[in-house]
Amino acid sequence: MPRDSSYQMTEPEGQSDDALLARYARGDAAAARELLDRLAPRVLRLARRLLQDQAEAEDVTQDAMLRLWRIAPDWQAGGAKPSTWLHRVTVNLATDRLRRRRGVALDAIEEPGDPAPAVVEAMIDGDRRRALDDALALLPDRQRVAVVLRHLEGMTNPEIAATMGIGVEAVESLTARGKRRLAQLLVGRRDELGFER
Amino acid sequence: MNQDANNRSPDFLDDAALDALFAQACDDAPAPLPDALQARLMGDAIAAQPRRVRQDGIAARFAGWIAEFGGVPGLAGVAAAGLAGVWIGFSGPGLTGDLVTEFWQGAATVSPTVSGWVEDGPLVVAGSDLLTLMNDEAER
Repeated sequence: MPRDSSYQMTEPEGQSDDALLARYARGDAAAARELLDRLAPRVLRLARRLLQDQAEAEDVTQDAMLRLWRIAPDWQAGGAKPSTWLHRVTVNLATDRLRRRRGVALDAIEEPGDPAPAVVEAMIDGDRRRALDDALALLPDRQRVAVVLRHLEGMTNPEIAATMGIGVEAVESLTARGKRRLAQLLVGRRDELGFER
Repeated sequence: MNQDANNRSPDFLDDAALDALFAQACDDAPAPLPDALQARLMGDAIAAQPRRVRQDGIAARFAGWIAEFGGVPGLAGVAAAGLAGVWIGFSGPGLTGDLVTEFWQGAATVSPTVSGWVEDGPLVVAGSDLLTLMNDEAER
């Protein structure tokens, strides 16, 4: 079941993100640092999960945060949360990069065959979190984006469909196949990850 | 293969385990930013930040009005020109005809010097003299 995570983040105690953004727009540099500490790490993690490339994920994070700074003077408090807005921007930037990386539309990408078991064994290592990230890295782009947005970011299928520029049924198919592939990739680590047979 | 089959198959991690992985991934705090990226992002934030003091209302409009005149120096020039106009108005230079008369009288005091210069003789050089002079210069 999809969970709310960074997509609908609860704000830390203290000033709201809205208030911090307003302070930033009034020239308070300390507010910028606090917003960075709150928002940017999640943006980077999302971008890295989608792109599976640290350098590109950092570029996307920088681009997304820069857009937030630029919109700050016109930000309407009480509407969408800055974290939600930033999440959408990040997803759009990352999916655009995936399209450009392939040079074709994301929904036209041919899916590769299953990776060799030895490769999987070598890549899936460490604790559960690392194991999941490693397995996600082995999914085809479209499946990975759909699974991340649905199961890690808590987006609805229609929202994912709009983001990826495909139909809702295609999203359902991608998430189902992605989950199945993940289950297949991770089964070899079941004991190591602490799951009973 | 359907979901129930996945749950029973030894070839797949069951859905409960997979959901537990998703849940843990959602709850985990993200890693802190790399220092270099943090510096880049903070640099962007400062560069894109609006000016610290933002003027609103009457003060902003007044500042804009001053700027239209080229700032404080421009406004000082306008003020000086205005004061000069007031001074001229109060001093009463009289009719324009008087000004003209005064001007030509002043010119007359200069004319003797000019006349004296003219009386030294016309500055005329005959054509043959001019050619001789040019040839001399060319031969040097």
